[in-house]
Amino acid sequence: MQTTKNTTKNTTMSKTSLLALLALCVGGPLLFAQDHYVMSLLVASMVIGGIALSWALLGNLGGMISFGHAAFFGVGAYTSAVLSMKFGVPVLAALLLGGVGALVAALAMLPVLRLRGPYFALAILAYAHIFRILATEWTSMTGGSGGLSSIPPLPTLPGLDLSSKIGAYFVILFIVLVFAVIYARLRESHYGLALRAMHESEDATRVVGVNSVVLKGMMLLLSAFMCGVVGAFNAHYISFLEPDYAFSALWVTIPIVAAIFGGYRSISGPVVGAVVVYLLDQLVFKNIIPSGHQLVLGVLLVAMIVFSPDGLLPLLRKLFKGKFTRSKHAAT
Amino acid sequence: MSELILQALYSGLLQGGSYALIALGLALVFGAMRVINLAQGELVLLSAYIAYSVESGMGLNPVLAIPIALVVVCLTSAVVYFVVSRIKKDREINSLILTYGIGVILTNGMLLVWKADIRSTSSEWMQEAFVLGPFYSMRSEVLFFGVSLVMMAGLWWWLSRSWYGRAVRAVSSNRDAAKLMGINPGYTELVSFIVAGILAAFAGVALFSYGVISPAYGGVLTVKAFIITVLAGVGSIPGVLIGAVLLGVAEALTVTLASSALQELAGMGLFLLVLFIMPNGLFGVRGRRG
Repeated sequence: MQTTKNTTKNTTMSKTSLLALLALCVGGPLLFAQDHYVMSLLVASMVIGGIALSWALLGNLGGMISFGHAAFFGVGAYTSAVLSMKFGVPVLAALLLGGVGALVAALAMLPVLRLRGPYFALAILAYAHIFRILATEWTSMTGGSGGLSSIPPLPTLPGLDLSSKIGAYFVILFIVLVFAVIYARLRESHYGLALRAMHESEDATRVVGVNSVVLKGMMLLLSAFMCGVVGAFNAHYISFLEPDYAFSALWVTIPIVAAIFGGYRSISGPVVGAVVVYLLDQLVFKNIIPSGHQLVLGVLLVAMIVFSPDGLLPLLRKLFKGKFTRSKHAAT
Repeated sequence: MSELILQALYSGLLQGGSYALIALGLALVFGAMRVINLAQGELVLLSAYIAYSVESGMGLNPVLAIPIALVVVCLTSAVVYFVVSRIKKDREINSLILTYGIGVILTNGMLLVWKADIRSTSSEWMQEAFVLGPFYSMRSEVLFFGVSLVMMAGLWWWLSRSWYGRAVRAVSSNRDAAKLMGINPGYTELVSFIVAGILAAFAGVALFSYGVISPAYGGVLTVKAFIITVLAGVGSIPGVLIGAVLLGVAEALTVTLASSALQELAGMGLFLLVLFIMPNGLFGVRGRRG
């Protein structure tokens, strides 16, 4: 009984917040459409939001903490860039294939699912290093450490130039929204139920006939696909790639901080967290400490885990709890 | 060619010594607290940078930095423990994210203090060639291989013979029973973090004496330490040494036979091989499988 109540409450919660988020996301560019700096910040923060969402999907549904999402991001970016540059694949199709590329990379990680919790997290970190080395060494395909430049930009559709800042913003917004819907559907499906049960007790779930390894593997592949598409988008958006950029630890650190900050068990949390954390990082921290400003992100991460591991929202709710209960009593 | 291979085996063996120190720090904390300290590599790097400061600032031999490094790194390690012990729920997952965050703090802190430049020792005494029969190496490599062996013997003695060591092992094998025997688990956990700090301090000074360091190197060290613990399996000091030497040899052979850019791939190849063939490691008994 308690569980059903909680679930309904959660869905209505996330629906309202999703609507508010949507209004904000569409309203944002209308206000700042002419300001290139603000728009580029917004696009970048949505890119982080997309990675954070895919990371949170793996963490929340799959119960796996990944420090290797830079691998998916980078592989997606390189797959899409190489396909569109060397094989003439249209950019929008290449975006999807970038996701497929990351999915294939994740297939190589499946053996790691044999390892439990902390071992899995570290193994996937080790994988990220490998993919960076491959991208650097496979010079004929990736241009080596010199990188790839003049990657074809996003195409122009009738009426909307997707390669402009505004156009790119709507593309990444669309991608993130589609992922959020897939995530929400999945969470409500019977797969989501099995995954939640697995979070409680993996052994008990196996006993009732759920193939936990297959389910976890599917979550890993889906998360990789999402992150790969975001990476591919980013490659076409900035039209330049080099291994140290594509596989940078940045693509792991900021999304994790964002997801933890916004609450990685919700769907809107990671995206909202990404926008807040990225804007804070770029507009405030970077001005105070020009190099090494990620230090503040580290402090933020540590503080969140110690004081409120479920995100900032529960902490705020705790602070305003007195007010809430009083108004509730007044209403009834 | 065969001389080259023999030389690579020898260099790998020497390199394995300090790898083993880093991996033991990781394994010790994991054994005592079920927490993987993702900032272990950064602690090693911190000690290496202290050695750099002592050498460049005071003009002393980096070996003399060990006392300062011991104090700073052990204190930092203790702080890591105090923060980790404040985690209230889901410790396994949250401690990973937490120590990752501490790693980010340390990496960027080092970037702020020591800048992004690559550093290495300028001590001539350290870089002098040491010839042992047909083998060549730097003095520092042989010196710190010896130091590592002594440290490992000391750790083995401490874990198996001393009261504290027994307490650490007791808590690691059965927390509740250890409590009933009058052992304070929090205390043994702190002790294991401090011992991991001592190992990291020595490993860091060794790293600076024969290699090059840069702020981003900490994460690579943590991954290497992890690969070694997977190779070795949990719970045996000689196992960790053999795993570390295997990794060192695999890397040295890759550098000799292929290219230095592929060095990290060698470790990964070894890692995947062990994962597929014997998921419990070469010497492990306890299950890691999901």
